[in-house]
Amino acid sequence: MTAPLLEATGLGKSYGTLVALKPSDLRLNRGEVRALIGSNGAGKSTLIKCLTGAVTPSGGSVLLEGKPLPLGQPGAIIRSGVSCIYQHSNLAPMMSVMDNISMGRQPTRFGFVDRKTQRTQVQDLLARYGIDLDPDALVGTLPTVKQKEVEIAKALAQDAKVLLMDEPTGWLAVSDVRRLHETVRLLAAKGVGIIYISHMLDEIFAVCDSLTILRDGEVVTERAVDRISRTEVVAAMVGERLARESLAAADSGRKATGSGEVRLSVRGLGRRGVFRDISFDLHAGEILCITGLIGSKRTEMIHALFGSAPHDAGEVLLNGKRLVPRSPAWGMANGIGLVPEDRQHEGLMLGMPIRDNLVMTTLRRFHRFGVLRPRGIDRSVSSLIAALNVQPPRPAQLVGRLSGGNQQKVLIGKWLARDPSVLILDEPTVGVDVGAKAEIYALLRAARDRGMAVLVVSSDLEEVTTLADRIGVMNRGRLLSLRPAAGITRPELVAEIGADA
Amino acid sequence: MTGLMTRAAPHALTLCVIAFVMILAVLEPAFLSGSNLIGILRAVSLVGIMALGMTFVIMTGGIDLSVGPVSAIAGLVAYFALVAGHGLVAALLAGAGLGLLIGIANGLLVASLGLPAIIVTLGTLSIVRGSALLLGGPDLHGIRDQAAYSFIGSGAIYGIPVPVVIFLVLAAMAWLLQSRTPFGTLVAAVGDNERAAWLSGLNVTAIKAATYGLCGLLAAIAGMIQSSQVHTASATYGKFGTELDVIAAVVLGGTQLSGGAGSVARTLLGVLFLGLLNNGMNILNLSIDIQLIAKGAIIALALSLAARRTG
Ligand SMILES: Nc1ncnc2c1ncn2[C@@H]1O[C@H](COP(=O)(O)OP(=O)(O)OP(=O)(O)O)[C@@H](O)[C@H]1O
Ligand SMILES: [Mg+2]
Repeated sequence: MTAPLLEATGLGKSYGTLVALKPSDLRLNRGEVRALIGSNGAGKSTLIKCLTGAVTPSGGSVLLEGKPLPLGQPGAIIRSGVSCIYQHSNLAPMMSVMDNISMGRQPTRFGFVDRKTQRTQVQDLLARYGIDLDPDALVGTLPTVKQKEVEIAKALAQDAKVLLMDEPTGWLAVSDVRRLHETVRLLAAKGVGIIYISHMLDEIFAVCDSLTILRDGEVVTERAVDRISRTEVVAAMVGERLARESLAAADSGRKATGSGEVRLSVRGLGRRGVFRDISFDLHAGEILCITGLIGSKRTEMIHALFGSAPHDAGEVLLNGKRLVPRSPAWGMANGIGLVPEDRQHEGLMLGMPIRDNLVMTTLRRFHRFGVLRPRGIDRSVSSLIAALNVQPPRPAQLVGRLSGGNQQKVLIGKWLARDPSVLILDEPTVGVDVGAKAEIYALLRAARDRGMAVLVVSSDLEEVTTLADRIGVMNRGRLLSLRPAAGITRPELVAEIGADA
Repeated sequence: MTGLMTRAAPHALTLCVIAFVMILAVLEPAFLSGSNLIGILRAVSLVGIMALGMTFVIMTGGIDLSVGPVSAIAGLVAYFALVAGHGLVAALLAGAGLGLLIGIANGLLVASLGLPAIIVTLGTLSIVRGSALLLGGPDLHGIRDQAAYSFIGSGAIYGIPVPVVIFLVLAAMAWLLQSRTPFGTLVAAVGDNERAAWLSGLNVTAIKAATYGLCGLLAAIAGMIQSSQVHTASATYGKFGTELDVIAAVVLGGTQLSGGAGSVARTLLGVLFLGLLNNGMNILNLSIDIQLIAKGAIIALALSLAARRTG
């Protein structure tokens, strides 16, 4: 029995009076892939940040191969062999793969970068770990999954012995997730220890050896993956009662074509070189999910409907009236809402409180003679916080200090608050835990039952098959099919999405 | 200890101001006299008025370097209107209107060119200064026999100088605008995340135009007060460095140069701090070179304290 690769003892973190992570122990062996799971705000990212040095733990110690890790010093921690892959890329998009990988540690001769040695070093590294990348490609031009691989290679170039991955598959499509998993297993086979955070139980069971479950900042379960069932995992994460409820909430009646009344009608919509010939009807009282691979231009298409991106062919009819989408303000004036995909860059004001974020789309309703009515705002904000179960439920809390999943809830709440007649959501539950997912689905279904027309773009097939009344599949800028969801199975969808058109 | 530091940090500026007042009061009892306190407010009223507008601009993540020349040209235009016999109201409206227009132009350019505000307003700074020189030449223009206009700069109401009264009234209005109307929230939203603001249906261009317009308007008001105070108008007023004092006051107040949340109330603290600093050094009879050096050092120190809050 050898000593573990990484051993954390009593690691904890408090923010003021809030205990984000109670003193916890964590062990990781060479070649082990350990899942770190738990509901939103359970303390997963906090634990990871303690290990990267991004936050200084309030207590505890960490040994890497028996030597103490210099906590709170990100640079020193990377040098001693612990690297992290974040959900958002930290790469320089205008630089080549090669330069990104060896950034900050290019080999030099007489003070100049030694290109030849740099190239052979990078190629050796890629070959050693079996990563297939073109060293000269510009990082910004690569698909997301390849960028993830560049980040991994960059970590390996820094001699990472431990790789931390915080929701690395957030926005990856099915086949890309599989590809990333292969890379992860490969690294493990070479002896790298990996900590893997994800809300997707499928992923956990596919790629991890062991799992650690956090709940309210505390380790509640530690087990080998083959010695625990999915229901046990969910129960450990959110408690028995919630687990049963969320399972029940997942199934619910479907209403293909809703009330039958066509709310939004899209005819031959196109944008040169991006998407073309998009035609469908969105009915009042239905949830239409559009799925497909990343890069199938779903996001571009819905932005064209909302008015935040251009189109150059076709037309859009709202309640039978022809519209020319111009700007988001225009889209909203016509009763359309759009929950964008990227909450950090497109969705939220991270430096502002929950309260201001939640009233951002409805501010106009809350003033009299130009002066804000705080009482009305407070009422609306607290009912949204309660409906979405945002934790902590403090309107004054800055959104940037919420856990990822709770930020996502605020983003959805901001648009539900407006109660638009057409609500478009782009990957609405990225980073949201199982329980909260069920709550969001329930809210969307309730909105649908009130007559809202809901259009969801999602790469998460489980989401698509549970939530949709009808399912559309997009591939390379074209809408391939559009059918009632009842009876469509996941394998069928997988086959269709991957189909070459 | 670090816990105490982080808890005290948000109030660092308030504490500095209080500490300052106490030190000066001990060193020089005359400091606490009513006339000296009013003198301090009078000395900062012009920078203060401009800092009110600058707070909004900086909250959007922008900056306005053109406030100095805008204040000069507003004074000149008011002077020419008076000389031409158009009367006080028309003169004031002309000066203020011009400031507003230049500001709106700044905002529209910043919003539409996609250039950093520092570049755009550096351009306007030069254009407006040049225009002022074209209009008024390099000379001082004496303003004589305009009792009403002079009252603005030199008069007093119940013993309080009119510039101070104007400053306090404008400050109250700006504070209301920032903290009690949707506009304040929208401005912060644009500065925090412009794309998200746009996707939330905000008219980012209009918000920026309004914000820079407000800043230009307030700079023009300050410029007219100044010309009335010294009974002259000149293209060279609002000299280089004015904008730096204004920006320093805002940033000392804790509004981040990167935009987002900010506060007029805290800008007022920043203004007060600058005023106390200048006044204190005068009372202590420091020479101007030492004053400049000490001022720079103290501002840097205060800023690093303020930065802890976000760190
Ligand atoms: N900078 C901060 N200031 C105050 N509280 C914070 C800060 N960062 C995180 N927290 C709090 O710490 C707790 C744990 O957050 P953490 O980000 O670790 O959750 P998580 O398990 O990663 O959740 P998610 O699945 O939603 O990403 C939450 O209650 C969060 O609100
Ligand atoms: Mg997290």
